[in-house]
Amino acid sequence: MWSSGGVSDEDRLSRAQAKTIVGRVFKMAAPFRKTMWMAFACVCVTTVCALAGPVLVKHGIDAGIRANDVGELNLSVAIYLLVAFLAYVFGRMQFLYLNRTGESFLRVLRLAVFRQMQRQSMAFYDRNKAGVLVARMTADIESMAELVQWGLLQFIAAGMLLVFAFFVLLTLSWQLTIVALLVMPLLIAASIKFQHDSNKAYLMVRERVGANLSALQEGITTVRVIQAYAQEKETIEKFTKSNRELFQSHERSVRISTWYFALIEFGGVFASALMIGIGGWLVHRGDVTLGTVVAFTLLLSSLFDPVQQLSQLYNTVQSAGAALNKLFQILDAKPEVDEHPAAVMLPEAGELRVDGVTFNYAAAVNPALNNVSITVVVGEKLALVGPTGAGKSTLAKLMARLYDPQSGVVSYGGVNLTMATMDSLRKRIVVVPQEGFLFNGTIRDNLRIARSDATDEQIDAAVAAIGATEHFATLPDGLDTEVRERGSRLSAGERQLVALARAALVDPRVLVLDEATSNLDPGTEAEVEQALERLMSGRTVIVVAHRLSTVQRADHIAVIDAAGIAEYGTHEQLVALNGRYGALAAAWQKSQIVN
Amino acid sequence: MSTIETDSEVATRLEFEQEQRSEGWKLLRAMLKVQRRNLLIGGLIGILWASFKVMVPQMTKYAINDGIEKDGPLLRWAVIIGLLGVLTGVLSGMRRYVAFRESRWAETLFRERLFRHVIGLHVGYHDTAQTGQLMSRASSDLMQIQGFIVMIPITLSNVLQIFAVTAILFITDPVLAVVALIPLPFVNLSARRFSHRIHPASIAVQAEQAQLANVVEESVSGIRVIKGFGAEQVQFEKLEREADDILRESMKAARIRSSFLPAIDVLPALGLVAVLGVGGHRVLNGQLSIGDLVAFNVYLTLLIWPLRNIGMIVALGQRAAAALVRINEVLETESEITDPAKPQSLPTGGSQTLGAVKFDHVQFGYNPSFPVLSNFNLSIAAGESIAIVGATGSGKSTIARLLLRFYDTNVGHVFLDGVDVRKLRLRELRQQIGVVFEETVLFNDSVANNIGFARPGASQQDLERAAKLAGAHDFILQLPNGYQTIIGERGFSLSGGQRQRIAIARAIIADPRVLVLDDATSAVDPSKESEIRDAMRTVMSGRTTIVIAHRPGTIALADRVVFLDGGTIAAIGKHEELVSSNERYREVLASMEHNAEEES
Repeated sequence: MWSSGGVSDEDRLSRAQAKTIVGRVFKMAAPFRKTMWMAFACVCVTTVCALAGPVLVKHGIDAGIRANDVGELNLSVAIYLLVAFLAYVFGRMQFLYLNRTGESFLRVLRLAVFRQMQRQSMAFYDRNKAGVLVARMTADIESMAELVQWGLLQFIAAGMLLVFAFFVLLTLSWQLTIVALLVMPLLIAASIKFQHDSNKAYLMVRERVGANLSALQEGITTVRVIQAYAQEKETIEKFTKSNRELFQSHERSVRISTWYFALIEFGGVFASALMIGIGGWLVHRGDVTLGTVVAFTLLLSSLFDPVQQLSQLYNTVQSAGAALNKLFQILDAKPEVDEHPAAVMLPEAGELRVDGVTFNYAAAVNPALNNVSITVVVGEKLALVGPTGAGKSTLAKLMARLYDPQSGVVSYGGVNLTMATMDSLRKRIVVVPQEGFLFNGTIRDNLRIARSDATDEQIDAAVAAIGATEHFATLPDGLDTEVRERGSRLSAGERQLVALARAALVDPRVLVLDEATSNLDPGTEAEVEQALERLMSGRTVIVVAHRLSTVQRADHIAVIDAAGIAEYGTHEQLVALNGRYGALAAAWQKSQIVN
Repeated sequence: MSTIETDSEVATRLEFEQEQRSEGWKLLRAMLKVQRRNLLIGGLIGILWASFKVMVPQMTKYAINDGIEKDGPLLRWAVIIGLLGVLTGVLSGMRRYVAFRESRWAETLFRERLFRHVIGLHVGYHDTAQTGQLMSRASSDLMQIQGFIVMIPITLSNVLQIFAVTAILFITDPVLAVVALIPLPFVNLSARRFSHRIHPASIAVQAEQAQLANVVEESVSGIRVIKGFGAEQVQFEKLEREADDILRESMKAARIRSSFLPAIDVLPALGLVAVLGVGGHRVLNGQLSIGDLVAFNVYLTLLIWPLRNIGMIVALGQRAAAALVRINEVLETESEITDPAKPQSLPTGGSQTLGAVKFDHVQFGYNPSFPVLSNFNLSIAAGESIAIVGATGSGKSTIARLLLRFYDTNVGHVFLDGVDVRKLRLRELRQQIGVVFEETVLFNDSVANNIGFARPGASQQDLERAAKLAGAHDFILQLPNGYQTIIGERGFSLSGGQRQRIAIARAIIADPRVLVLDDATSAVDPSKESEIRDAMRTVMSGRTTIVIAHRPGTIALADRVVFLDGGTIAAIGKHEELVSSNERYREVLASMEHNAEEES
């Protein structure tokens, strides 16, 4: 267990950081501060109990046995029994209170981080890799669970035991305390070195475990290629190499702990030897009693064990601190797109206007859109076309306020989108993404993503509105079919139908569509086409188009190129213009003819 | 969800579990036999350690009785105790080292064995096996086994320690020994029960954590949908439910800990109380020396850890046995595709071109009762290129898999240059076939190593020749580190077309007799399609090539078209002929076009 935790140098917290983090943790733990204090009180009682044992043995020996006083001996035994009982009762309570505190804290942390992550705008998700975000919410928080379950208890108890034991020893005999402390410098130096070395060794092990698992996974997932090229032997050799490297790092970390634990064991016995030797001499001189010497030999472990535990837990605590630091960074990130305090409802209907908009993705050198203006009137269908990366998707996203422009205004019915309530915005303007993304749960659950309070009737109506009632009825449990692992049970077309039904459920005024480029099975292709048709009718539509047929149906076409609108007009106008759109339309035409 | 089992079902299940368990123990014993020697050494060291450890309190007793109480040679006893400290220190270090090294070594070897076995298993196995399952065999299951082995030397010394201490206590004072030892078996019992009960509880916590991870995962990857509909609250509520579940399960585990761990801590203290009470009176009555009393105290503390450990090792052993059963299931699966007992060799050319392929009355189904191909006959001359066209599920890709011997035919034979592929060594056969799979799989490695995959140690000239043929050389030079750029999932990300061209270069570097291109253009941006086709055209010339066409454009590359329909060859001939003569061919072609337009 000693190898749990581990923290790399760049993750190690400075003193100031550590202080802020501890402060914030206490603030977050405020709702269950009472439980926390109860836990602390229990730890105090059990620590006192742990120390009381040897002291009572001492009393029994000195005041009872050696003084030939049966009464004192019996009293010691009776108190010892009571102490054992208290240790048990408070031990149980301490576990429950501490775990309750720790787990409640983790729960609050989970909720707070997740809520904050959800509040972040799309730009945040562009910047941070999905894997990293998931790791924050899972591995980073879980890494603290160990600490919460037993580490924290040990840490507090060890610290207290160390302090209490020192004072108890001091009151028993200052001479013997000095003897006990003789071994301490060795122990502390060894512990610090061990803490340092084992941390390094642990990081190495962790890295190699990761490399080994990757090699393993790569081997299994690419087995067809490996076999097709008859490279089994070579692949196995490579894996063996990584596996042996892992073994070596394990071996190294074992060696580090080997000498440390050998030293600890030696130190413990050696301290007893000193205690017997010097203590015995002091007894002869009459400076201390035999009972005291016995108590000291029994108490030595109360002094040494905490030092050991603290040094081992140090890494765990450090890595938890590093994890907390990363989590607080997320909590501190301000969402770029957020509801304005004085936000107003968007009007029922209105034209969508983009006015002198410039937009820059955070990392990009050149703006994705540069001073773009365009207006979409009520009920109009606008197709956005252009080469990849020219900015057509960006324009569509700005029109739904997935991002805010750096300058310029996007407005709906005369209201700047940045001044609209999020709720009304999402009701008026709905984005249907390219791929039909499904969440775990039933199809019905997936539709409720769009409107959590929708009744079953409203859901049925939405499905009917896009004409997919019959299709979903053929599934094993109809709309209550579990989609399983991101909808692996459904075809790409069916997933698209779900995405469209979601939009229908909201019943928005404006639809922003990113047309699918992926393959649909011919069976559902027609149904999706039809559903889309139904959904678009009577609504304002902005579509990022990839197909000629879609473009031909639009009222207006905007060709986006080099961060601006290059051409704008109807299909016929633009074909007549014979510019970029003309070339694009011709290429589309051509690709339809058999090669 | 609770399912109600009938009595007989319960009986069968218990019987099955019993069988599994005994099989696991058997496997465990067999495995330990291999490591017998070193584990024995570890055990021996442990036993030595225990003997010295047990001597410490004895010496302490002598020191007190003889040195302190009677003014004897105190220093001598102190030195002896100090020396014992050196011995126990060194020995405990050695024991620890041997135990950990042995267990890690066992884990290492086992993982290699597993990997070697899994990599060699036939493709049909991998079709149904889940990567995650295999991964946990080689990671978490092996960890269970490692966790058990590491305890073996410690357990041996623990057992000795318990016996020795008990014996010493009984020799010193049988009455006091009985009194002091009464609470201790309960330590063992509690530890055992604790170990049994905490395991399922921690598994339950992990399961809840995994569910929360699912919600987070889908919320991050589905953020567009969530933002688009303002569904943040819905997801938050889902997460809150999962977080509550974790809290609940964690507290269940905490309750188990709280009902065992404090008891395990306190039980030995009861022994100490008994020693003080009963022992104290016996000292007062002159039946026991005060040194013995102190020694009793120390001995009791020496028993605490061994008893706990032994309590836990039973549960650890059971988990290890269960893990071993799961691992063994994989190891016992035999590959269905193996080298023949008496392999033949492929003819080596001389003047004539090589690479003739023949399918002779082949019938095959992934499930033999549902054949994908039946009565499939096809001869491809050396150097000829053919395109295979067919609707989805017509068995196009199966043809390549049979040639590679990923699967064996149910009926009929496949020949390469006149030799039945089943009579060839797999390595010899597969080295003569270069495949570009429909889904490009590249390794997390340098471009050079990816291209040279089929020919480790290929020279730079060879690599560049293959890359040039595949039309990849130019863009490779543009990469940050040229041929040494690390690509793949965790490296530099290439476009679909670039990945395809590297895959093509990889297929031709070993200069195979037959090239199989499972439509290399299907994953590529339409504008790049022509570049890939150019590359394909170059590498195909003069080589037997089977192109599995998913896009109409690819068909034009081949000399002949084989039209597959209903698991058999519906027509064969030139593309134009088939277009004009075969109605069904036109239909299939049209649906391919439709898909192609879809993608553009």
